[in-house]
Amino acid sequence: MSDLQLLVAHLVKLGLVALLAGMLLRGRLGLCWAFGAYVLAILVGNTLVTLAPERFYTPAFWVLKQGVYDALKVAIAIELAWRAFAAFPGAWRTARVVLLALLAVSTLSLAGLTPRAYDTLWQWQPGAVTASVWLLTTTALLVVFYQVPIAEWQRAIMLGLAPYLLVFVTLMSLLRRLGWAMVERISFIDQLAYLGLVLFWAFAAWRKDETRLAAGPAGSPA
Amino acid sequence: MLELMLSSVGCAALCYTLGRYNRTLALQRWQFVLNAPEERALESLRRRVELDTALARQALDAAERARDARRPADALTVLRVALSVLEEAGADRLTRLRAMAVYSRMVRAIRPLPAPSPAPFRGARLKAAAVFAGFVHGFLVGTQERFRLWLVLMGLGVRIVLHGGQRAVDGAFREPARARPWAAFAEGLSDFEALDASHLAAFEALAASLAAVDRGGRLELWERIAGDSR
Repeated sequence: MSDLQLLVAHLVKLGLVALLAGMLLRGRLGLCWAFGAYVLAILVGNTLVTLAPERFYTPAFWVLKQGVYDALKVAIAIELAWRAFAAFPGAWRTARVVLLALLAVSTLSLAGLTPRAYDTLWQWQPGAVTASVWLLTTTALLVVFYQVPIAEWQRAIMLGLAPYLLVFVTLMSLLRRLGWAMVERISFIDQLAYLGLVLFWAFAAWRKDETRLAAGPAGSPA
Repeated sequence: MLELMLSSVGCAALCYTLGRYNRTLALQRWQFVLNAPEERALESLRRRVELDTALARQALDAAERARDARRPADALTVLRVALSVLEEAGADRLTRLRAMAVYSRMVRAIRPLPAPSPAPFRGARLKAAAVFAGFVHGFLVGTQERFRLWLVLMGLGVRIVLHGGQRAVDGAFREPARARPWAAFAEGLSDFEALDASHLAAFEALAASLAAVDRGGRLELWERIAGDSR
């Protein structure tokens, strides 16, 4: 790990701490517990790698932590969907069917890509990430279709995570084309993208919600 | 490569939909749904619909009187006014149809409407659209889907009437003495009235469905919507 990469990793760590503090102080932790667990997992992974690189900056640990992150991303998507549609039985029924179908398809396709080896990570990582993107996208589409109210924080989680995941898949694709010689540069770009994501989330976590409904005569807002 | 393509499409769809998502508007819509001021809204819409068609009908009658009195310039001017009344009313109907499509997704069940029929319409295109919608209606199972089919038919109908009205007025300007464009405009106005009757029926069905949630249930749902998603 180069000095520059180490510096960005520390900045990400600071951003994650600010994000967690914002979530705690603004009462956003309870809006998506899986997201809190994900941020904590990232923070732990980052801390271990930066403080003891000789032990944790290894392919085996990368595969392990990536597996945990992937599982937590799926959990975030499912919890966001559940929180959005729990009060709306009709919409929740549809969401459940679509999300289960997506999960089944992605699980089956990923099962065919085992074993998860570090030197062929571009073969299995993009599939896992694409599944997370589509779980989030399905939730977003259903939220808009049924006009279900979701909190600004939940919207920010989805709006931040999906573009980052797209960057990640793109970088994986680049790694596959360019080979391991470029891994340090690609990893650095990924770090920068993640730093941007963490700063966006931290800003959203600290921002105060301003949604207030005026009490007036009931006319259709169309 | 496939994953990259799928992720790009998914990400674009998510950013587009959530980027345009307006939480305040969604909450206002739910507030409207749960308050369900059905009778007041229905009465106000009925008055509006009657006023629009009365204005258009009056303008067409005045134009026909001017034409019979051999004042073609006046007749054409008033016929244009009749068309502009129809155009304004049509824009209002299309906006409400879009809103009804949104609200229809927010209620659990919708009071059933009869299958679309060509009987109340006079224009050939509108009759054909109603026959086709009646045919599709038979293949749909849910009342929500059938309701939305009605909305699509009405939206299409309003566009057909406005397009026909524009062509009739253009025809009357080209040949003021010919009876056909005037008859076509009168036919379109009659179809617009028939569409308005369906519009009111659909609005009434939707309002009744919104009101079907019991008061306690509404309050509880509103608590969950407004309370959980701070």
